[in-house]
Amino acid sequence: MASVAVSKDSLESDSDIHITLEDQQKINRFARHNAKWEELREDLKNKKGDLQNLEDASDDLLLVDDESAPIPFVVGEVFVHFNMEDAKEKLEEAKDKVKKDIEAIEAECTNIKTLMSDLKTQLYAKFGNSINLEAEEE
Amino acid sequence: MASTAACEPIEESLKLSGKKSFAGIPEATFVEDVDAYMKDREGVESILRQLDEQHGKYKFMELNLLARKKKLKSQIPDIQKSLDMIQVLEAKRKTNEQIETHFLLSDLLYSRAVIEPTDKVCLWLGANVMLEYTLEDAKALLEKNHETAMKNLAQVHHDLDFLRDQMTTTEVNMARLYNWDVKRRQALNAK
Repeated sequence: MASVAVSKDSLESDSDIHITLEDQQKINRFARHNAKWEELREDLKNKKGDLQNLEDASDDLLLVDDESAPIPFVVGEVFVHFNMEDAKEKLEEAKDKVKKDIEAIEAECTNIKTLMSDLKTQLYAKFGNSINLEAEEE
Repeated sequence: MASTAACEPIEESLKLSGKKSFAGIPEATFVEDVDAYMKDREGVESILRQLDEQHGKYKFMELNLLARKKKLKSQIPDIQKSLDMIQVLEAKRKTNEQIETHFLLSDLLYSRAVIEPTDKVCLWLGANVMLEYTLEDAKALLEKNHETAMKNLAQVHHDLDFLRDQMTTTEVNMARLYNWDVKRRQALNAK
């Protein structure tokens, strides 16, 4: 989890940078958004992996010559045999669903990033160097 | 005291969001003015220790909530998969076709099976109980479970957010208190 650190350099700033309740709430809001954003990033990574697998699967499907051979398609924990057409359809459906999920997650990510940069500007304006709002980049 | 009064608006605004308040998570009092706060208190170290203890408790609660969240997050795809399977069964029943499957016998062992079109399914309810349902009833039950799981997940998220807020507030309090103390010592030494 990214941390928000507030440290006051008491040697330089003798004017006690007073933290009001509003500031505390802004800091809290920022921390929440940050945590949510990291979670979304994780989800996005998983979904993109899923999409890649589905793309690979549909590519492999194109390589199959025998049109009449049943294709075992994973539903839950069992493989259900479908003919080529149904299997293609199922793959397309699954791909569309994952693509839609990815779009939704990306939209929310952008939303949160805007909120965060907004709060960042406000907090940096008030506290300057006394506050550290950067996420720990791994 | 001024600081607790200042905290009420937060709780009000959170209650207005319609969600019930937070499963036994104590709220951290925000210190508006460190001077006034410390005026009747002696022993900065003991206060810091108290705050540190509080912070530790919050961390522990966070671990609990995170574990619960993980469990819920893993349940939801399972329910989704069962729902998908029911849809497939329904579709096949309409066309009155048999379903040929590779059936999971154990992790590495599958077996071929032929399923006749049917309208009964058995659902595993847990606690070594399995009940037979019609396709429609099974779908309704699974959808209800899915909804409950999503609702619980939302609740856990909500609690986690509040918990994080309290943790951040406590951390900020500790930092300010420590700095205030350092300044006070410097002022004393300068005299």
